[in-house]
Amino acid sequence: MKSLLLALFLSFSAVAQGEIAVIVNPNNDLEQLTVKQVRDIFLGRARAFPNGKFAVPVDQTTSIRTYFYEQVAARPIEQINAYWARLIFAGRSSPPKQLEDDEAVLQAVKNNEDMIGYVDKNRVDDDVRLLLLIP
Amino acid sequence: MSLVCFEQTGRCAIFGRKRPLNRNIRRYGILCSLSLLSAVSLPASCEEFSPTLSFKGFGTVGISGSDTERLGFRRDISQNQGVTNNAGFDIDSRLGLQLDAELNPYWHLGAQWVARSHAGDFIEQNLDWAFLRWSPSLDTDIRVGRLGIDQFLLSDYRNVGYAYLWIRPPHEFYAGLPVYHFDGADISKKIEVGSTFLTVKGFGGYTAYDAPSVVSGTESLASVVVGFSALLEYENWKARLAYNWTRNVQDPKSLGQLSQALNDPSVAALWPDTQSLIDALRVEDTTIQFSSIGLAYDDGVWLMQFEGSYIDSDYSGYPSLASGYLSGGRRFGKLTLYSLFGIAETLHKHYEVSQPLLAVPQLVALRDGVERSLNQNGVDEKSVSLGLRYEVYENVALKAQWSHFWLGENGTQFWIEPQNGATPDTVNVWSFGLDFIF
Repeated sequence: MKSLLLALFLSFSAVAQGEIAVIVNPNNDLEQLTVKQVRDIFLGRARAFPNGKFAVPVDQTTSIRTYFYEQVAARPIEQINAYWARLIFAGRSSPPKQLEDDEAVLQAVKNNEDMIGYVDKNRVDDDVRLLLLIP
Repeated sequence: MSLVCFEQTGRCAIFGRKRPLNRNIRRYGILCSLSLLSAVSLPASCEEFSPTLSFKGFGTVGISGSDTERLGFRRDISQNQGVTNNAGFDIDSRLGLQLDAELNPYWHLGAQWVARSHAGDFIEQNLDWAFLRWSPSLDTDIRVGRLGIDQFLLSDYRNVGYAYLWIRPPHEFYAGLPVYHFDGADISKKIEVGSTFLTVKGFGGYTAYDAPSVVSGTESLASVVVGFSALLEYENWKARLAYNWTRNVQDPKSLGQLSQALNDPSVAALWPDTQSLIDALRVEDTTIQFSSIGLAYDDGVWLMQFEGSYIDSDYSGYPSLASGYLSGGRRFGKLTLYSLFGIAETLHKHYEVSQPLLAVPQLVALRDGVERSLNQNGVDEKSVSLGLRYEVYENVALKAQWSHFWLGENGTQFWIEPQNGATPDTVNVWSFGLDFIF
């Protein structure tokens, strides 16, 4: 229920005082995503964007990852790792590839129109499309 | 952890990114082209996908012991050694290694090998899966090769301690399942309805494995298996339904020897009932049906999990069994406290083994072997457990668990039983474990 309320709150308050920006390639014609949609893509539940395009999420190795999942999935990183362990070691699916920093994510998203990533909002430029700000 | 990442200039990269999508698609390699058989949204470009090879693993260092020397506690019936009041590292400790090759968005190769203690071949039987996965559309996966049996909430990750709460899978439910994998194929489809995800899966194949036996040391068994499962995920809830049908295709060696002895004309002359005993001992062509339901809840703070199963068997030596467990837990930051209640009961049909006409020692010994094979496979067990899990690091967890078992008169088949003599009605088992993934 807590995560549902958080999702509702975030989807209505939309782009406000965000710290983390969820970004895609400019060729992706999506206007925005809700927290729930971002969560489903990053947890591998949804393999496509709401517009039907194939979605390839990219993760980070830095501390921003911990904060991102606390905000999006309302779970500490240990629980996210255990969640993926259940899928990886059952041979069901693979987790998002982890890139080393904001710069690597920006480059990957700029170069691949399937990708979706998250970076510090101050790093966002015109070469990527901003879909959601996470406070 | 990625060991090797191929360069972006790999196989698909030669097609160039600037071409229109439909033109690119025609020129993809055979692996990508096959995916066009289904009309779905394709990834924008195969050339942008760099194939990756990754190496991952998991493990547990566990120590456990009990307060009796009369029964050996084991994790499941694939193990031929258990711990007693002499503590041991054997039953829960394991190391799993996994190799994944993501060839492109549609094709995936995976293999997992888990070093652990069990009765089977250490190299071959520890290969838990090795398969090729094809995802012809965004919601469909087809796998061929050696696969985990996807029948219970924990069934294809029950070796991965880090992935669940307890020190080991609930004993009453999982200890009776010696089969970890099969060679065959499965197909799964994911359906999204609003906030709910439904995954349905069908599978079929052949499984050959070794299991400890009450008569001889180890038996080789083989069966064909077909089944289906359905998994419903909604927010913090997960519900599961599964069924499989198994037909045994091979008589274990020791039972063959028993049947052979019963077939002997001199035995038959002194023991008129031998033919019905031979029929009762037959494993080949008997069938076993597994049905299970499961429900799990996890909101990040509170956890609950329940599973129940019914195993319907027409083989006298493996009587039908009902089992289930209920577990609850609460997280306090990095610490989780939990409790677990389990029950397993054989729906016992005691097979009356007739007496030979003449009590010569060889016949008495033979009758004893038949009696053990047919009637010493019962399970009558309940337990309550209390435990804790502490997140030491983001990929390491420390666990401690105490379990109190009540063992009834119908049998202790999940345990290593003594050759003769009485066994205790209650046993305490303590365990400590360190689980990790990398």
